[in-house]
Amino acid sequence: MRKQITEYLDIDLINEMWVCRRCDHALISAHENYKKGCLVYDRNPHEIQPPEIEGEYTFSPDPDWIRYVEFYCPSCGTLIETEALPPGHPITHDIELDIEKLKEKYLLTKED
Amino acid sequence: MPVDLDLNKRYKPEPITDYERECIAKLKPGEYEIYSEKFNNIVLEAKEIATRIGISGFFHAGDLIVGIYTANGDLASAYCGVYLHTVTSQLAIKYILKYFKDDPTVGIKEGDIFYANEALYGGVHNPDQAAIMPIFYDGELIAWAVTAVHQPETGAIEPGGMPVTARTRYDEGMKLPPIKIGENYQIRTDMLDMMANMVSRAPRMQIVDTKARVAGCDRIRVRVQELAREKGKELVVGVLRRMVDAAEEAVSKRLEQWEDGTYRAVTFFDTIGTQDALVRCSLTLTKKGNRVTFDFSGSSPENDGSFNSFDHITRSHSSIYLFGVPFADLPASSGVYAPLDFVVPKGTYLDANWDASVANSPVANCATVTAISLAMAKLLFASGEHDLATAVYSATGCSFHVAGVNQWGVLFADILANVFNAEGGGARTNRDGIDSWGFPYGCWGKGPDVEDMENEQPHLHLFFKHRQNSMGFGKYRGGAGTTIGVAVHSVPSLVYQSNSKNHKVPTAVGLFGGYPPATHPGITVVNTNYFEKMKRGDKDLPTNAIEMVKERTIKGEYLIEGNIRDARPYQRGDIFIGSSPGGGGYGDVLERDPEAVIQDLENGFISEWVAKNVYKVVYDPETRILDEEATQKAREQEREARKRRGQPFDQFMEEWSKKRPAEEALAYFGKWPTGEPVREIVRI
Repeated sequence: MRKQITEYLDIDLINEMWVCRRCDHALISAHENYKKGCLVYDRNPHEIQPPEIEGEYTFSPDPDWIRYVEFYCPSCGTLIETEALPPGHPITHDIELDIEKLKEKYLLTKED
Repeated sequence: MPVDLDLNKRYKPEPITDYERECIAKLKPGEYEIYSEKFNNIVLEAKEIATRIGISGFFHAGDLIVGIYTANGDLASAYCGVYLHTVTSQLAIKYILKYFKDDPTVGIKEGDIFYANEALYGGVHNPDQAAIMPIFYDGELIAWAVTAVHQPETGAIEPGGMPVTARTRYDEGMKLPPIKIGENYQIRTDMLDMMANMVSRAPRMQIVDTKARVAGCDRIRVRVQELAREKGKELVVGVLRRMVDAAEEAVSKRLEQWEDGTYRAVTFFDTIGTQDALVRCSLTLTKKGNRVTFDFSGSSPENDGSFNSFDHITRSHSSIYLFGVPFADLPASSGVYAPLDFVVPKGTYLDANWDASVANSPVANCATVTAISLAMAKLLFASGEHDLATAVYSATGCSFHVAGVNQWGVLFADILANVFNAEGGGARTNRDGIDSWGFPYGCWGKGPDVEDMENEQPHLHLFFKHRQNSMGFGKYRGGAGTTIGVAVHSVPSLVYQSNSKNHKVPTAVGLFGGYPPATHPGITVVNTNYFEKMKRGDKDLPTNAIEMVKERTIKGEYLIEGNIRDARPYQRGDIFIGSSPGGGGYGDVLERDPEAVIQDLENGFISEWVAKNVYKVVYDPETRILDEEATQKAREQEREARKRRGQPFDQFMEEWSKKRPAEEALAYFGKWPTGEPVREIVRI
């Protein structure tokens, strides 16, 4: 029994694991931050939004102020999440679900 | 300060009275359904009245709110506009009830008209002015009406009402705690004269717009009294209170169905007004059973600029998202807030000391709206509410002000309401965001016609168009933002000012892999030959900002700076350029339909560089016919490249945690990376 949590991630309620919806790869325990089960890349925003003009203000974020931290599925390479963070800023534990409550709600409901 | 700040915490419904309970019990089957809709129509009608009378840009654009309240000051229904004003206006009503009801020098009587624009007394910032009227029937107070609209001038140290150089409350201009400005259904002339004197850069606008606010309230008063006459005052009291209770019950039930857990978001902006600085909004949203807590601990400390807020202002900004998205089908009433709690730590920029400048509190709270939107989107999606989850709407608040004497010889101060109401929409779970969608704070606002604006403002629009590459890319892209260029025309000079930000970092972000929108600088060109070239009929006039800066076919001095710009004079022919941002993207860019990428290219929404390097789409450069096989291969190669360059989390953190942003970015961030205060702010 899997419960969809994001566009790219399910929680396997039996095994209590985060699972990629594109390739079924089990990333990490559902009790952990799923980002710890991803491959992570520090992206210069200029590689996504090209500077349109020269100088300090370019129509693209300042890479000394902000980075795009990309989280990939280690199996299929899907971009699961992107965080905009200042360099070195702690990674956000964005989704921390009550797994017991989820199991109670969906596993019991299914058996009923 | 003799201010009752505890009163500002009374945003939840007041306890139901025995009389209200009796009135609800007397409602006949169907009456609630019929007359709750009647109240919704009354506020809509009142909004139309106010819009037609007011003259400043926010009236034209519809960035306003009209609300009806219970006798105890609880919001029962509001026109879909700038919801945050209806939530905060409850506090002004509750102040009037607490302090003036039994004060014989003031009192609350039929025909009274109150007015307020002071943040410490429940307001947002002093441009946001509210007219407030009690509604009596048979000598009994049965309801209240409020019309609140942003006034683009306050008599502050800069034109425009939102001075970016303000450092304390003393720099902000007219600040009225709730006061009585009229009796017997008439506005007192001496009160209007007082306002005109305090707002002397644009006295005519202040007087006419004050009357427009009062007219909005009075239309509600007339309709509510008609209804009381027709159906009895008990019906009015009963239905209004029921609207509050119905929203509370519905929100509670809905929350019960959503997934329990903790959802977190951090968002950033890049100014305190007087200088570039990184400021963090940190949100921990805890949902358990039928309760939600929004905790903003970890947000940056208060600053000595104007990008501060008070806790009730921060709380009220949640209404923009809550009333607009997950609870849009419920009465826009205070009942929505009954199951919701907020933690806004004192000393953060979200709850600064009373003497702080909050002139730009709505712009600072863009980060609040963004963080709430992001965390709620994850809660909603996890709970199966996919149609309600969206990438973040840009919420930059790109307000560009203009002031001076217009072509009719009248003093004016106003906002460029067209670009302001043309931010890109956030991408949805199944489609792109809407291009030049609007302004998230007042989502029914509209960009006024350029011709309409030029009739009141003596400048010429050189261009007002979608900006290429402005949106967040993704499986579904954010809506495009816009860029505007205006040149002073038909008067010798004007003053322009910008409260916008996002020149260093984006505040809006994407969802589930989608990218944030681009940033945008402030651009000024002075001593130009634009009108000479125009008169000659030159063919090389630039059609957008980037073309203007890169090709420089217009002679002049080019200044490219942060988007935030203090008030300064522009002479005839000088050019002011500003942008509104795009919306956040949704999902992995490699999952975007390649044909949609080609279509974006055709429409000019993205550049060839983005199509090739971000979306990895291969096509014939001449015909733009898609090469499906090569595209599939390029995307497979990119997925493999991601696996090669991505690092396991612990390995990544080893390098990442040693990094820091540029030192100048951290001047007002607080201690890195916790955000604790590192300096004492002294305001004089």
